[in-house]
Amino acid sequence: MTNSSASYSDWHRRGAVAWGIICIALLVAAALLLPRAQINSSVLALLPKQSMGDIPPALQQGFMRRLDRQMVWLVSPGANGDSAVAAWWLHRLRALPLLQNLAGPVDEAQQQSWGKFAFEHRNGLVDGATRARLAQGGSAQADWVLAQLYSAFAGVSGRELHGDPLLLVRGAQLAMQGNAGGLGLSQGWLTVRDAQGRVWYFLHGELGGDSFDMAQGRQLVADLDQLKTELKTRFPGAQVLTRGTVLFSDYASQQARHDVSRLGPATLGGVLLLVFALFRSPRPLWLCGLSVGIGALAGTVVTLWLFGELHLMTLVMSLSIVGISADYTLYYLTERMVHGGSAPPLESLRKVLPALLPALATAAAAYLIMALAPFPGLQQLAVFAAAGLTASCLTVVCWYPYLVRGLPVRPLPAMVLMARWLAAWRRNPWVRFGLPLAVAVFSLAGGARLKINDDISQLQTMPAGLLQQERQITALTGQSADQTWFVVYGDSPEQTLQRLEGLVPRLAQARQEGWLKSWHSLPLSSLAQQQRDAQLIAAAAPAVIQGLRQAGADVADADVRPMPVTPAVWLGSPLSEGWRLLWLSLPSGESGVLVPVSGAVQGKALSSLADSLPGVAWIDRKSAFDELFGFYRVMLGWLLAAAVAVIALSYIARLGPRRGLISIVPSLLSLGSGLAALALSGHPLNLFSLLALLLVLGIGINYTLFFSNPRGTAMTSLLAVTMAMCTTLLTLGMLVFSSTQAISSFGIVLCSGIFTAFLLAPLVVPDSKG
Amino acid sequence: MIITILALFSCAVQGVTLDQLQQRFSLQPVVRADFTQSRAIAGMAKPLVSSGQLLIARDKGLWWHQARPFALTLLLDDKRMVQVMNNQPPQIVTAESNPQMFQFNHLLRALFQADRQVLEQNFTTDFTDLGKQGWRLVLTPKTSPLDKLFHTITLSGRDYLEGIELNDRQGDLTTITLSNQRLTPRTLTDDEQQRFVF
Repeated sequence: MTNSSASYSDWHRRGAVAWGIICIALLVAAALLLPRAQINSSVLALLPKQSMGDIPPALQQGFMRRLDRQMVWLVSPGANGDSAVAAWWLHRLRALPLLQNLAGPVDEAQQQSWGKFAFEHRNGLVDGATRARLAQGGSAQADWVLAQLYSAFAGVSGRELHGDPLLLVRGAQLAMQGNAGGLGLSQGWLTVRDAQGRVWYFLHGELGGDSFDMAQGRQLVADLDQLKTELKTRFPGAQVLTRGTVLFSDYASQQARHDVSRLGPATLGGVLLLVFALFRSPRPLWLCGLSVGIGALAGTVVTLWLFGELHLMTLVMSLSIVGISADYTLYYLTERMVHGGSAPPLESLRKVLPALLPALATAAAAYLIMALAPFPGLQQLAVFAAAGLTASCLTVVCWYPYLVRGLPVRPLPAMVLMARWLAAWRRNPWVRFGLPLAVAVFSLAGGARLKINDDISQLQTMPAGLLQQERQITALTGQSADQTWFVVYGDSPEQTLQRLEGLVPRLAQARQEGWLKSWHSLPLSSLAQQQRDAQLIAAAAPAVIQGLRQAGADVADADVRPMPVTPAVWLGSPLSEGWRLLWLSLPSGESGVLVPVSGAVQGKALSSLADSLPGVAWIDRKSAFDELFGFYRVMLGWLLAAAVAVIALSYIARLGPRRGLISIVPSLLSLGSGLAALALSGHPLNLFSLLALLLVLGIGINYTLFFSNPRGTAMTSLLAVTMAMCTTLLTLGMLVFSSTQAISSFGIVLCSGIFTAFLLAPLVVPDSKG
Repeated sequence: MIITILALFSCAVQGVTLDQLQQRFSLQPVVRADFTQSRAIAGMAKPLVSSGQLLIARDKGLWWHQARPFALTLLLDDKRMVQVMNNQPPQIVTAESNPQMFQFNHLLRALFQADRQVLEQNFTTDFTDLGKQGWRLVLTPKTSPLDKLFHTITLSGRDYLEGIELNDRQGDLTTITLSNQRLTPRTLTDDEQQRFVF
């Protein structure tokens, strides 16, 4: 041994000790962080946070939390339409501890207090139609009152006319009825009839508690399923439809859990079998396990430390990292298996380092590029992967030269086959030129069929049952789950209401243009508007009273005093029942109101309408996400192109133009065949496929680097690359079987791309070596 | 909406059972008549009297035109309720925007098609043969919101429906008298067609 190698071994010993200390620190950190860690399963948590424009963040969060907590049920008793079934359902729902604020039928007393409040504040609760009539100076309102009075079915009584000769309460009530969507009141219940004449009872409530975690969601869905079964046995013919974000979250988390529990063991088992088959010794197994385990530990700790939580989706995708981090161990162990007899362990390390370090760097860089996409789930995955890969590579570098001592040296398996394969690459033009050409043709043929789809719903495969219920509820109630709203906000409740009043006429205009079908606007006026209304009432009252007296009705003069209704008073009154959800006031006075919109077809026009008004924002969660998906797909496309260009330039700089350009061919073709396989399997290109391509590039480069490592031999490189490819396909290949389309298309691109990278990697073997 | 009820029973009646009465409802494609309505409202000295004309076309709907003491036109069909007063723009309520009103409308249409089952689902019926082709049908609502509005609805007539009496829950009484019923021509004239266009 020379002096330099002695100092090299000293340096290495220190490194091993340092890494040991870091690993202990990681263990301690994990012990501290894990008990408080949250596993997040909400699909919404995967999405970018800044999707609500300039709305004060506290209002955004308040609304989002509220909306995600809503639950709606429609109960149909079957043929007889008996409300007893709905009452039974409500009773059982109330017994569930995870639900709160369940609204039942309105009883006599509630109706009376409703009427009392409406009467006592009638001059402040003027509706739009009445306002328009009053503005004409009283004769129009007089005509309307007379029409109501003469109508046999309107049921205007002497008492009603005496107390409210302008019939303001009636006007407001009719306006509310017209705003009720498909629902009507029957025996105190909100009901709707379907096309077959069946009655459906409408019930709503919300999830209890502040936070809603996975376990609670599971519990609630299980409870509801059980209630449903009970309902069917007790009342055959009865049906119930349910709507709530929790159903979809629960489904998604069940699916991810299913993926983890099904794919996880298969992946690990596959890798272990492969390693055992190659080395025929248990030690490589636990060495692989150790580096992967330390990688997983570091990934978890760093992710929890940076994000405070782990997303379930991150865990599923992290399966893929297991395979890649095993590559480092395999590369080193293969080297030792072949040359263990002649070279000391540190010498082998020195030999593999030039390939190992760039391999780690490219893979980590490929993952970290993902962190640029503003999706919390992906950022977590990127951080998890980069930290995990680094830790498992450092474990190999720092510790394995000590741990591999005495590992049996064995001739290479399938040596003849591999030698023939390498020889064919050198001598047989059918392989050397034909194979890349064939892959190129395949890439072009598939690439031509490629379709782009940025639809975010691919993140989640919705179960047909839930979607069916969703459609039925939308058809029955007219309340779609479109998640399209205008949000109006201001510094004070009054400012918010005034801004809302500025928006409503623009909405009427938008409906005429056909931009949207309908909207629901809070039936509450600003104090300024109420003041103007009071003036209109005072001015119009004499004409109305006169008209009534002429027709023969003896009525007293109208009470025209202002009867102001503040948001606080209104929210505390029975009148705001069913509307409270749409209003949110912060302690600072900042307030917001949601204006749900259905049938919106001109998102761009509605968005610019909102932009033209102060304190108004147009929210279309899904299309905003779709746009983001599209934007980042394009951005990643350019990044990918830039990465290919940088890699090509570095090859050319290192190897000269001819060899440099040849070296980039495997990378390019692996990208092309990944896309082609995607297209031919009928999947569209989206952000996820681009992310997969990024990894194909990152991992594929490893293979090229292993082969072009000037200190390595083509034969050991081929073995290591084969092993690496097999473990990667075993782990990432499992993703193809994921039930989530986005993950499975990610898997398809990766598998086909990496297989191509493996297939074509010998193209870069230098002629002189081997 | 009362007009729909009128429509139902504005038919020649030969039998004296409810079944026989209903059997003939569907035979009249178009019925025209004059009406006088009197509404006695508790707490008011005089009843409110109004009069005008009505038209029922089976495949179009219902046209109710009050001429006195002020002009008011009501139109009711499958999809819309339209009210026109003086020279104001028509007020249109659609089935989508106010299903509650239309629930009632559907009930009445079921009656129009002589659907005894629906009739008996919503009312307790009491049919009396008064002799000399005269009859009376007292309907007592048994479902909400009808029972919140009316005590009884009484229909009476001979060859045609001639009288309707609405007994309000709040003690008001509305009486509608029909006269001058015409069944010909059996299709709508062009002028009558126009009444249903909005």
